[in-house]
Amino acid sequence: MDTVGGELNASMLAARVHLQRARAGSIPFLLDVSIQVPAGITILFGPSGAGKSTLLDCIAGLARPDAGRIVAGEEALFDSQAGVNCPPQARRIAYVFQTLALFPHMSAEENVYYGLDGMPPRERAARVDEILKAFRVEKLRARKPAEISGGERQRIALARSLVTQPRVLLLDEPLSGLDAELKAAIVDDLRAWNTARRIPILYVTHTREEVDALGERVIAMDRGRVISTGTPMEVLEAPRHKRLAQAAGFENLLSGTVVDLREADGVMRVRLNESHCEIEVPLGYAAAGDRVHVAIRAGDILLATSQPHDLSARNIIEGKIVALETRGTLVRARVNCGVEFIVHLTPGAVRSLDLAEGFRAWLVLKTHSCHLVEE
Amino acid sequence: MDALLLSLRLALCVSAILLAGGLPLAYWLAYSNWRGKFLLEAVVALPLVLPPTVLGFYVLVAMGPHGPLGKFWQTFFGHGLAFTFEGLVLASVLYSLPFAVQPLIASFESVDRKLLDASAVLGAGSLKTFWRVILPLSIPGIVTAVVLSFAHTMGEFGVVLMVGGNLAGVTRTVSIDIYDHVQSLEYADANRMALVLLAISFAVLSFVYAVNRQVGRQIGRRLWTPWAAN
Amino acid sequence: MLRRRAFLMIVVIALSLASAVRAQEIRVAAAADLKFAMQDVAAQFEKQTGTKVDVTYGSSGNFFSQLQNGAPFDLFFSADIDYPRKLDAAGIAEPGTLYEYAIGRIAIWMPADSKVDVASLGWKALLDAGVQKIAIANPEHAPYGRAAVAALQKAGIYDQVKPKLVYGENISQAAQFAQSGNAQAGIVAMSLVVSPGMKDGKRWEIPADMHPPIEQAAIVLKSAANKDAARALLDFVKSESGRATLAKYGFTFSPANAVTAPSSPQNK
Repeated sequence: MDTVGGELNASMLAARVHLQRARAGSIPFLLDVSIQVPAGITILFGPSGAGKSTLLDCIAGLARPDAGRIVAGEEALFDSQAGVNCPPQARRIAYVFQTLALFPHMSAEENVYYGLDGMPPRERAARVDEILKAFRVEKLRARKPAEISGGERQRIALARSLVTQPRVLLLDEPLSGLDAELKAAIVDDLRAWNTARRIPILYVTHTREEVDALGERVIAMDRGRVISTGTPMEVLEAPRHKRLAQAAGFENLLSGTVVDLREADGVMRVRLNESHCEIEVPLGYAAAGDRVHVAIRAGDILLATSQPHDLSARNIIEGKIVALETRGTLVRARVNCGVEFIVHLTPGAVRSLDLAEGFRAWLVLKTHSCHLVEE
Repeated sequence: MDALLLSLRLALCVSAILLAGGLPLAYWLAYSNWRGKFLLEAVVALPLVLPPTVLGFYVLVAMGPHGPLGKFWQTFFGHGLAFTFEGLVLASVLYSLPFAVQPLIASFESVDRKLLDASAVLGAGSLKTFWRVILPLSIPGIVTAVVLSFAHTMGEFGVVLMVGGNLAGVTRTVSIDIYDHVQSLEYADANRMALVLLAISFAVLSFVYAVNRQVGRQIGRRLWTPWAAN
Repeated sequence: MLRRRAFLMIVVIALSLASAVRAQEIRVAAAADLKFAMQDVAAQFEKQTGTKVDVTYGSSGNFFSQLQNGAPFDLFFSADIDYPRKLDAAGIAEPGTLYEYAIGRIAIWMPADSKVDVASLGWKALLDAGVQKIAIANPEHAPYGRAAVAALQKAGIYDQVKPKLVYGENISQAAQFAQSGNAQAGIVAMSLVVSPGMKDGKRWEIPADMHPPIEQAAIVLKSAANKDAARALLDFVKSESGRATLAKYGFTFSPANAVTAPSSPQNK
């Protein structure tokens, strides 16, 4: 099992899942992962189609893996070898969907009460009151979901799931579509609620910003496999996979061929695509002649209008500005150096340098801004 | 009028039976994954395409002394099933079956699956999920099913003709009565009865659609229309 | 000039061909009890003359309404003389063609496996406890139904058997109720009782004096597309072979044939 840091204890969730499903036309969908989720918030990150939602469905009992084992605390919820398959009703795992799935014909309060049947009425009422307060939605208890706006619907959905005191919480992109401030507020309340209970929370997202905001642990997935685990820094700043790099916001993803290696300096030279543009990148496991992929953030590239001298950066490439697109507070420049680079500039910089399409420009790339990624 | 009351009684009985029996059948057809499901769906839809006289004929044969229904009924009740009110109810239930079941199926299928998942995850078994999530969200479809069964049975002629035997107060429904009057050239009587039938049917349907609109608005869902049901 | 004449000639030839083609087919509306008898008669007529006979069977009352509203039949064989009379009075019938072609007979019929020996019991068979339902045609508009009720009353058992009666829309349906076994007995037209499906059953012929005679009459419609062929069929029915065929199916004939009229302008 991939360990994610943290000891195995009673409140941990561990899942080993193998699942294959035929898909119309193309190659079948394959999910093959093994994860451990300790108490606290763990992010499940990856592009669409990576299998994140399917994994959550398996953990919740809404989908059945072909093989594997799912354990929450000390109880096996699923074990293909032992023939154990606990139905979702009995797993005590809370699951908040992307669409929230609030019952439209019931009030917020009735929604929250839903999972608490079989409990003495007074205790039930007390719990519901408590959680509505904790998530700040008391005033909305009599309203129907259609009458409740964005962020508050998410809070009701969370309240509904958590009032049952589950042992695991699964969240499938629950905050998509909300603005950053709302998201942050909800996450804070969620964290506050969890400091007391300390259950594993598995939070699925495909946006970088949420990873940064929530940032405890990250499990990165792609095409049905776990490709990286660790802190957000580890997983996203130096993504080892091209698709992950794309997902993590690296605008430049270039292919090239290794020209030669300089082990002593810890670098190697790579010729990009079919141009004569060569750059120096950190040393990786490759030999001369190998094909590699390099990911560079647009924000990591400097642009000069005259050839710079005496710089520490090892990569200075000459090219021509092909396009300048203003995108709000950012200007996206496309520069052709034999290979096209995307560079992010501020409008102020564009003005002071008096940049325009057709200008000659020099791009400056630090060696360590160039990340080698796998296909 | 005897015949009118009889028709109303028949329509109410048939609607009630179709609701009670239609809900589980529709539930199974909506949510089952059995590969042979399409066969049952075709059987349920048969009365839509069979002429009522054909259906009536086969029901009559089945009710006869050599038919499965007839034998069963004879053993339990000591007399035949044809020419009785119960026989009419049975034939009408078969005849109106798709009109009840199909709107119900469509209604169930239109309930967001994620709501069912959420219900399961929150600890609800199938019965609770059905009772508290599927059913309330299917009210417009249920109303449609009941209304269609009722209206269809009120207007039924061919099947009643085949198995009824035209007994006053027992199997002489208003449609048969009107037909009788026409046959006997009593056009004034026929007209009168037909208008009463039309007025009552229109009143019932209008009332139900008005209520349906209200209910639909409360849940915030699109209004169900019978021509969308098929 | 020549071309126009040629065109006219073609039109005339085409029209006469068309009417000649039409001359080969007549449409007949026949009462339900004639189902088997008329098939036989029509087959013979077709063989003799080559004219195709297209028969529709149903209740006389229904046909009456339809004919009043212009239904395109050439000939109407009613089970009740009343209807053709009315059509004649209303001017819808071809004058002088009204003809009483038969007198209908009725019988009590039971399935072959019935435990009741109706042939010897006669009326008493209907009182048997095993006979729970008795099918007759609806007396309100079917002549055979009226005859059945009259006979039951004359036999003095009408009040006793009334609760057991079930009504068929026409005599055919009454026969069907009995034949399918849903009704344990039926008072059915003789012409149906001798048919293939029912002839193996048990029966008791009801004496003709137990009920007013079922006078069955036919008429040619004024709106007939094919009056000559219709008249020819009616003549065939009146002929020896026609009457012999009808007799085979249990029909009898009134001695005077009171309402006969020449069916074609030239007397036979």
